[in-house]
Amino acid sequence: MWRRTVPIMITFFVGTVLVVAEFIPHKPFGNLGEDFSLYFDIIAVFAFILGGGNLCRVHFSKIYRGKTDWQFSIVTLLGFFVMLAAGLFKIGNPMGIQGDVTAAGSLFADLYDSIFTPLQGTMYALLAFFVASASYRAFRAKNIDASILLIAAFVILLGRTPAPSLIADFFAGAGIGFMATAFNFVPTLTDWIMDVPNLAGQRAILIGIALGVISMALRLILGVERTYLGADSK
Amino acid sequence: MDSNIVGVWIAAFLTLGIMSFLYKDNPWYKFSEAIFVGLSAGYWFASLFWQSLHAKFWTNWSPAVQSLFQGQFDYNLLYTGAGILGLMMLLRLVPPIGWISRWPLSVVVGGTAGLYLINYLVSNAIRQIGSTIQPAVTFPESIGWVQSGGVIIGNVLVFAVLLVSLGFILFGRSSTIDLPTPTKLFFFLIALVACGLGTFYSLSMPLNLTGLIIFMGVFCGLIYFFFSKEHTGFFGGAATVGTWFLMVTFGASFGYTVMSRMSLLIGRIDFLLVEWLKVVK
Amino acid sequence: MCGLFCVWKMLKLKVAIFTLLFLLLSCFSAVAQTEEEISDTTASEEPSYRIPKLAPVTNLEVQDSPDDAGGEIELTWKLSADDTEDNGLVSKYVILRSQNRTSDFHIVGVANHQDTSYIDKGTQDGTEYYYKVVTFPKYEGEVRLTREEIDPLMDEFPEFTELGIKDVSMLAEYDRNLAAAFIDEILGISAVAGPVKSSAQWFNSKDLDTFIIGLVICTSVVIFIGLARGGRKLFLRRIGGLQAIENAIGRATEMGKSILFIPGIQDMDDVQTVAGITILGRIAKTIAEYDTKINMPVSRSIVMTTARETIKEAYLSAGRPDAYSDDMVHYITDEQFGYVAAVDGIMVREKPATCFYLGAFFAESLIMAETGNSIGAIQIAGTAMPAQLPFFVAACDYTLIGEELFAASAYLSGEPKQLGSLKGQDVGKVIAMVFIIVGTAFATLAAVTGSETFLEITNMIKSWFSA
Repeated sequence: MWRRTVPIMITFFVGTVLVVAEFIPHKPFGNLGEDFSLYFDIIAVFAFILGGGNLCRVHFSKIYRGKTDWQFSIVTLLGFFVMLAAGLFKIGNPMGIQGDVTAAGSLFADLYDSIFTPLQGTMYALLAFFVASASYRAFRAKNIDASILLIAAFVILLGRTPAPSLIADFFAGAGIGFMATAFNFVPTLTDWIMDVPNLAGQRAILIGIALGVISMALRLILGVERTYLGADSK
Repeated sequence: MDSNIVGVWIAAFLTLGIMSFLYKDNPWYKFSEAIFVGLSAGYWFASLFWQSLHAKFWTNWSPAVQSLFQGQFDYNLLYTGAGILGLMMLLRLVPPIGWISRWPLSVVVGGTAGLYLINYLVSNAIRQIGSTIQPAVTFPESIGWVQSGGVIIGNVLVFAVLLVSLGFILFGRSSTIDLPTPTKLFFFLIALVACGLGTFYSLSMPLNLTGLIIFMGVFCGLIYFFFSKEHTGFFGGAATVGTWFLMVTFGASFGYTVMSRMSLLIGRIDFLLVEWLKVVK
Repeated sequence: MCGLFCVWKMLKLKVAIFTLLFLLLSCFSAVAQTEEEISDTTASEEPSYRIPKLAPVTNLEVQDSPDDAGGEIELTWKLSADDTEDNGLVSKYVILRSQNRTSDFHIVGVANHQDTSYIDKGTQDGTEYYYKVVTFPKYEGEVRLTREEIDPLMDEFPEFTELGIKDVSMLAEYDRNLAAAFIDEILGISAVAGPVKSSAQWFNSKDLDTFIIGLVICTSVVIFIGLARGGRKLFLRRIGGLQAIENAIGRATEMGKSILFIPGIQDMDDVQTVAGITILGRIAKTIAEYDTKINMPVSRSIVMTTARETIKEAYLSAGRPDAYSDDMVHYITDEQFGYVAAVDGIMVREKPATCFYLGAFFAESLIMAETGNSIGAIQIAGTAMPAQLPFFVAACDYTLIGEELFAASAYLSGEPKQLGSLKGQDVGKVIAMVFIIVGTAFATLAAVTGSETFLEITNMIKSWFSA
């Protein structure tokens, strides 16, 4: 009862109230949605103790048991605790403990700028290579769907750069008017693809997603879907 | 100044460490990864602690409790609920009563379900249906050749897609239309002539079929997502056309993203060459 | 630099060529953009300075904002005669409020020229208010107020600061004596309107259409859940990606390798993560039955606890509770790219045979999917992030597109009531299609025939979907 029925009742109650509240401007329903995300943020901080605890446990046991690459676990734990201490105690913060945690000049901000940001930026930048390799694979695909995807991608890619007009100029200079016209036409084609078939596909996906979400939400609220609650016994 | 140089060297060292992953997994990458994971986890917790727990919870809740002792009720006292739910989450650490953590989880899932239901209904379903309702055909006052290039391509494409879809429906492998082949050919011929005339007409007269294409795209796209019916016959043809539209959409956003990803790489190379090595000024 | 060159050299040549090509193209765009920026600077000459006397707005009406949580009053008026669309003389309308009809008016806001309404969002419910609107001319001269002249004005009208207007020169530059402008009626001042009180409402009547449409769709889902529960047989077609799941798990079992499950990078307050976790519940049961290893790195703590519960339940119902371990799910970091760095590391070191990506993804989608591809894993993805779908489609073996992600767990459960909800979803699609067809038909008729009646019908249908 307490383990299974109550949670399902809570889900039903909270879900229904939030749906209904959407139609009631009067207090306290008017901004219940924002209140909920505030509540969630607070719960998430408490939950982090579980996540952070797990991170420490995994790496400590790796070091303790001397598993492969245990040396790197030391680095991870060191990074974690140094950053945590720098942030929680606001070490080196020009305004002291009252200052903003990300204030410039603090150890937290320094570590963020010289370690966190470049790592983040570089990881993100790897996408350039991965986009290229994905394009290469799409380029080799032989079925009709992949070809459509590729052609659309290629046209949009060209249309977003000044390359078509440069190529058109080249053809015009070489006296091949037909090719010049064709390349001058690429930007128009780009706009058309973005505004017409792309938009249509986008809408079909969005409407589908909406119906999927509605149905999923109802299954959760009505307690039909209860996988997330886990086992009946301990 | 000195600390700045150290910072740049550390940044460069880690930048190259991450990039070395493209070659293969190696200790340099492992080191960069390890420090990234540890540091960022610490970063998030410290930020969440100050920006959520302190700024959103404590600064609202503690004055409310104080005023309660002075006999006043403050609306912010409701934050107690959030605190209790958070503590319940932590009971996971006490195995015999760990199941209590399902309660805050139910609050989270229930709230998420409720909010998303409404938000998606409004922003995704209702709004998209509303903006799809447009005239399928319009007769603009005049269309110049160059400006209307897109329109003309579209018109021709409509007829082509119509024709190909009909072909699929009549002759496709999964076709369920049970007619003798000559009859099917006859129908197809009529459609061919009609589409040819339509194309000819649309080339010579101002006619804008943009609305029709969008309509077809949305309609066939929705049919693709239909679960209750097998994709055969007319349905199968429409679903196939639907996937074509989806593929154009995917291709478009793929092509659209490539350039911005390249600029990220340029950003990193810029850092290495200008800030670190000072090769380029 | 050497490292970079080494990386470059070792990369697959073709990928490198592609990257180079794209880089070249983006450099082109960058160059083209700067050219545009440079060529686009033309200065305009300003005419000489004068202060016109403007006509005030007329028909000023005030009322409590309908369908709100209180604290708002809506003002509407007819434009000043001098506020014409081209070459109008008006720049702003300044809104003044007081609690008595004759004096103590304070600035509460500013509306732009051509605006015919303003909402005062700072009222106290139940208090009576009076309003008037002041018409300000356009700035047409070169005379600007100096700092010394502005500061006293800001002191005199602190409301400007409160409104976030840091520098009154925007208004004050029209007249050297702003205070005098209000008192001496140099500017066009409307008649006083009011009294009016604001209040909160219990139902948002604007949302009535949304309410009805939502109710219809939700009811159809609920009805079909009920029908299915009652034993009605419902047909559902097969979905390719879902068929592949069991094979993918079987493959991992045969190869003796693990299965990687990524539930996206959002927390449990995103319905896509919830969808991913419910699919995990079904998959984990098969995994338990096959006795395969599952590895699930997560980027959110609540997702970690939920996933553990879910997998534990799956192992229990598969009759193998002893094979479950908490270590199957482990937290990495909340940071998007830190998480990806670790997942990529896990992939190349453990070489899982199968990778699932089910949930909400952002830019990291392609990094993971391409790495998974390079180790030869079977990859099944699903997300409702439209921007990431193309990358999954390009890099994965199967992709659950948008709606299919949410339907997957219901499909895999095989429970009638879950399947019933999918039928209800289809009814929603039919409703959408019917309205699109009917609406488009009337819109087309209106465009072709030019008939007013058809246009009215079209607009009526459109208004239902204008939330």
